[in-house]
Amino acid sequence: MTTYILRRLVLMIPVAFLVTIGVFALARLSPADPVLVFAGEERDPAALAAIRKDLGLDQPLPVQYVAWLTRAVQGDLGRSFQNKQKVSEAILERLPATFELGLAALTISITFALVVGILSAVKRNSVVDLLSSSVTLMGVSFPSFFLGIVLILLFAYVIPGHIFPPGGYVPLTTDVGENLRRLVLPAATLATGSLAVNLRQVRSSLLDVFGQEYVRTARAKGLRERTVVVRHALKNALIPVVTLVGIQIGAIIEGAVITETIFSWPGVGRLVVQAIPSNDYPVVQGVVLVSAVSFMLSTLLVDVLYAWIDPRISYDTAKA
Amino acid sequence: MAGTTVPIRIAHVSDDRLGSAIYFLRRNPRMIIGGAIVLAWLIIAVFAPFLAPYDPIKVNVTDSLIPPGGAHWLGTDDLGRDVLSRVMWGSRVSLSVGVISVSIGLFVGTSVGLAAGYLGGKFDLFIMRGIDALLAFPALILAIAITSALGPQIQNAMIAIGIVAIPAYARLTRGQVLAVRAREYIVAARTIGCSPLRIVMRHIFPNIMNALIVQATLATAFAILAEAALSFLGLGPQPPYPSWGQDINYSQRYLSNLKWWMSVGPGIAIFTAVFGFNFLGDALRDALDPRLRRSG
Repeated sequence: MTTYILRRLVLMIPVAFLVTIGVFALARLSPADPVLVFAGEERDPAALAAIRKDLGLDQPLPVQYVAWLTRAVQGDLGRSFQNKQKVSEAILERLPATFELGLAALTISITFALVVGILSAVKRNSVVDLLSSSVTLMGVSFPSFFLGIVLILLFAYVIPGHIFPPGGYVPLTTDVGENLRRLVLPAATLATGSLAVNLRQVRSSLLDVFGQEYVRTARAKGLRERTVVVRHALKNALIPVVTLVGIQIGAIIEGAVITETIFSWPGVGRLVVQAIPSNDYPVVQGVVLVSAVSFMLSTLLVDVLYAWIDPRISYDTAKA
Repeated sequence: MAGTTVPIRIAHVSDDRLGSAIYFLRRNPRMIIGGAIVLAWLIIAVFAPFLAPYDPIKVNVTDSLIPPGGAHWLGTDDLGRDVLSRVMWGSRVSLSVGVISVSIGLFVGTSVGLAAGYLGGKFDLFIMRGIDALLAFPALILAIAITSALGPQIQNAMIAIGIVAIPAYARLTRGQVLAVRAREYIVAARTIGCSPLRIVMRHIFPNIMNALIVQATLATAFAILAEAALSFLGLGPQPPYPSWGQDINYSQRYLSNLKWWMSVGPGIAIFTAVFGFNFLGDALRDALDPRLRRSG
């Protein structure tokens, strides 16, 4: 296992290197001159030249890249052009809100996927199965921002009592109840897309496992259906689901951009959306880099978890 | 049996083809439903100038915020613009971004996959690390980053979504090429002196067409969703030009006044278009690739 993790980490290095080149190049693709953006109203050529030198933008691109990468690996992602705040600080400030939203969405998604997916597989072709198939198909086709708007309309304005507020955030440390009340709609919105995919995976994995001989044997020796499903089938059926949950972390990261915008949730996603109109490229660059690295690490974590859960998989001898 | 004659009906080839097509479609109702939705949206997009009842960008404040009814089936927005007309014109943006970005992804991704799979070696190693790097980004984050770098324009949204789509085609094509590369007919073609380009185009490419058609259909659904998301964030076509995502974003300010129809029209439009392509893609996958049907 250790060898496998080390090998995966080594293989990640060239990919991470290419990712950093991509993130650096993206910011340089912009037709807007970052110096003009940074300078604001200042148009004096001497002052602009000084800013250009200060930002290191008078250097050749490879030199700029090495300087940027050296600072980035030390946690320095530059300063925001808008408010001159350190990008790493801005991201860290907003990370708890995004993490809370992502965790809540993932919890909703996995819980519903497991419960409905199991019911759907056990009672195949029943009303539950039909409903879950319809939800699955609708969930992958329904745009999250439209779903968010429908939920706001219903729960914040149409249904009497205004059960949930249309947006905003109260830190967990300030008021737990209000924090949770404001979390429900964005978490449900963010969960829907991944719920559909997870539900489909739980159902199809279970149906695959139901066809296996050991499940037939368990039934043949007279075990209760509940024991067959929970003790024998589910354990093995969940293995592919673990991988899928890892992939869903990427979907949660990108979904947070949209969801946080709709619900005015002060997370990392909203930070990047607010940075775009003002060409605040250090912020965009920082968030994109952090998202990519988080996604890569979560994929690695899932692969390791996969090997740990399923003893049949031996990565130490497998060719990567 | 001796001496008896059996009448043989010689059917026209075209009759047989029509019959088998009808039989195939009857056995695949999802293809009919998905295909009909996709076809309907294509017709609306192409003929929007003739089908839309009003000018989608003409401001008419006397007709502002009219609920759905006889004159305006989907109501009007705060500037008195007909929502149905904007939805119809908006389909041109969504479908054109879908088709063009998928074409970019298909062309580049397939070329890269074919070259990597056929040539192998260091070329394969280097090019696939690049593809891995693209896959390291969450897709929408990458599309947002590219569009924000290039500028908020429809062409840039197409490029961004196209780039995001490249890895799926590259990996799919490479995998398929590796699977068929060692087959006898490829070895035979090489033995008789066929050039690598001819082998790839005449012998390998036709074998991976089905998988690519399925991927392209499903990718169009993703592209429509991604374009709507980019437009929602202000990175697609700019106002006053209609775009589904942008119109939903614009409608948000009237939610508290319960002017729900401003967002429902474009929302349903995105849903049906994406649903249609997903449904068609799933049906095509089942029909064209029986291995996937068994494993799915």
